[in-house]
Amino acid sequence: MKQNKGKIGIKEYIAIIALTIGTKLSDDTPSIIYEDARNAGWISVLLIGAMAFIPILLLIKVFSAHKDKNLHEVFIYLFGKILGNLISILILIIGVAALTVDSGIYVDIIGTMYFTTTPSLIIYGVLMIVCAYGAKRGIEQIGSVSWLLLPYLKITLFVALFFSLKEGHTGFIFPLWGESRLEVVKAAGKNVSIFVDFLLIGLIAPLVSSFKDYKKGTLIGLGMVTAEISLATAAFVMLFDYTTAEMLSYPFHETIRYIQIGFLANVETLFFPFWLVATFIRFSFYLYLSAVMLGGILKIKEFEYLIPLITLIVIFLGIAPDSPSILLYTMRQTILMILSPAFMFLPPLMWLIAKIRGDFKNETVLESS
Amino acid sequence: MRQFWNLAKLTIWISLILALTGCWDKKELDQKAYVIGIGLDPHEQEGKIKVTYLIANPEVGSQQTGGGTQEAPQEIITLIADDFITSRNTANTVISKEISYDLLRLIMVSESLAKKPDFIRWIYSAAKDREIKRSTELLVTKESAQKFISNNKPKLETRPHKFFEFMIGRGKETGLIPDTDLNDFFRIAETDSDLFLAIYATTEKENGNHNLSDDNFMAGEIHIEGQTNDAQFIGSAVFKEGIMIGKITGEETRISSLLDPTLYLQDFKTTFQDPFNERYRLSVRFSKIRNNVYKFKQQSGRTIIDIKVPLFIEILTDPSMINYAKNKKKVDELKESMTVKIEENLNKFIKKTQEELKGDTFHLSIPVRREFGTLKEFRDYDWMKSYPDAEINVSVDIRFGEFGRQTKLPEMREVRD
Repeated sequence: MKQNKGKIGIKEYIAIIALTIGTKLSDDTPSIIYEDARNAGWISVLLIGAMAFIPILLLIKVFSAHKDKNLHEVFIYLFGKILGNLISILILIIGVAALTVDSGIYVDIIGTMYFTTTPSLIIYGVLMIVCAYGAKRGIEQIGSVSWLLLPYLKITLFVALFFSLKEGHTGFIFPLWGESRLEVVKAAGKNVSIFVDFLLIGLIAPLVSSFKDYKKGTLIGLGMVTAEISLATAAFVMLFDYTTAEMLSYPFHETIRYIQIGFLANVETLFFPFWLVATFIRFSFYLYLSAVMLGGILKIKEFEYLIPLITLIVIFLGIAPDSPSILLYTMRQTILMILSPAFMFLPPLMWLIAKIRGDFKNETVLESS
Repeated sequence: MRQFWNLAKLTIWISLILALTGCWDKKELDQKAYVIGIGLDPHEQEGKIKVTYLIANPEVGSQQTGGGTQEAPQEIITLIADDFITSRNTANTVISKEISYDLLRLIMVSESLAKKPDFIRWIYSAAKDREIKRSTELLVTKESAQKFISNNKPKLETRPHKFFEFMIGRGKETGLIPDTDLNDFFRIAETDSDLFLAIYATTEKENGNHNLSDDNFMAGEIHIEGQTNDAQFIGSAVFKEGIMIGKITGEETRISSLLDPTLYLQDFKTTFQDPFNERYRLSVRFSKIRNNVYKFKQQSGRTIIDIKVPLFIEILTDPSMINYAKNKKKVDELKESMTVKIEENLNKFIKKTQEELKGDTFHLSIPVRREFGTLKEFRDYDWMKSYPDAEINVSVDIRFGEFGRQTKLPEMREVRD
């Protein structure tokens, strides 16, 4: 095994993907999908996985010609200095907005479900400071912590899903096509950006030990999180039926409050810490990505020092909204809707420009020579 | 400088560790009053309800204190409030600790409140409250919930949380009360295609008609002598669209469970007319361990559903001394007569739901949903409206298990010889 400093292996890479994107099943992503697709949400998720496959494949193709560049550098190279920076800035703004909204939602989950009297500023502060510390340690540490904790987090998740499948009824996923076939496709099209993170993860593409690992890891990760989120959306419907599942703000947390494991009745306290750890890793990674992007745009070499700044911005933006649980939900929906077309079109565009510029030819020449 | 950094690091660590205790939400066990049951009754004034709290004393019967406390195992208070969320603070005028719903096991509603169209408004507070779980039981009482709670005095299991846990758990196993909870109530009210069954209980005894067969009772009708608790848990209250519309007996609750695709049954003991001697009744034990099979057809606008119910039956008594072990023909005859009898009972119940209740109580919409491609088609079909006119054919497939601990019995003639 190569021991390159500042690089991560395929295991760590897959673990990061599984924790950052897989954790989405535990926030309000399922509710957003149920809104259009109803009980066929799980089919929508599978469709999203299939749809996301195309831009991700093209993205990998682009990176195959630029193995030592990260996403920002590829933008600069393909679109020129001005346009490239502009796209990067846009992505950074949307990324930080998404990070703010997501972290706001997680704070809302913790605040409404578990720590009801603690002020949200304190929850927000503690959550983000821990994440900032994690992000500051760098990608290597985030990667190894993810890999180390992955089995525990996934085992507890699957125990929860297993018991909800056991207590639920398979009959609830029928009628198979939900509201209608069109609605299922619509839900998939609107929310394909739940996998937009794969684009952002391009920022650490050169940090994965080899390009082959990056390619393999991305595809395995995509399959894993698609299967996982699809299974979870089906499990919530089986437990609550579609009308109720749609009304729940955070189906995963209602599930762990509802299920009983043998004689143990209040099991949410068993699952909550594991979920919390996954949350820490998730936001550490996002903070790290934002810092890499900002560092790239401003040409700051030691971008780790930008993390406290971004953390503070996120905290202050995050606690600002009035009635957060309603506002953040609609904001998240809007962000997902804006990002979906961007996620579908940006990688093909990048691929097209790379093709026109003849980047892939160089590569084949290099390989054959 | 280095020392300064170490000090700074240490300060950060200590402050983070302090944050871990969650100071704002820290509550010691003895600072909380744990409500086990909430009783809800109507109040004359518009928009108000009577809330009764059944609060458990955690000290009683716990191993650590050796069960040696002089305090009562439970405390009951009733107050008039706008809902059962704010009543928590009002209750603190008499209760010294913070009222907590963390261990809430059941919500008891009096029949008169459950029959009000406004009932659903009150009960939805339970879906919004942070501490109430969706697995809470819903129980309908014949008298006022306040009276039920104060009359319910279990003799041996005096700790209320244990009493209700065992009482309801065992009742569900025997099938005399329905296996449902608050989540099912919300789910069925929201889907609006089946009827919901809630547990029915009372402490009021009814006199007369003690000559019915074993389980065809409502709560309060069973004649039990001796020194025991007055509360009886049997039968179900039927809810349509969140309003109580009627009630069914313990036997009907069992039949409903037999037809239900979501339930497996373990331990139903009941009696049947002995086919070989009409003076006696035969004790049997039922279980449904395989799934029912449903067949759905639409013929010229009319819905036809065939239900096949697989039953596993153990014969526990042999009052007419038939000696089944030696008599294959009699076993077949018994099977035949039981099939006819059970099918007759199931059909009678289905007819009742179609004509009286106008909706099914046994999740029949679930197998029906399978036949539709999209929810829109299913909604246009409108199961709740179609059910009363549907033709439902039930067939029972019986498999016999054991015939008691010993299968052989002496010949009657030889004993009396």
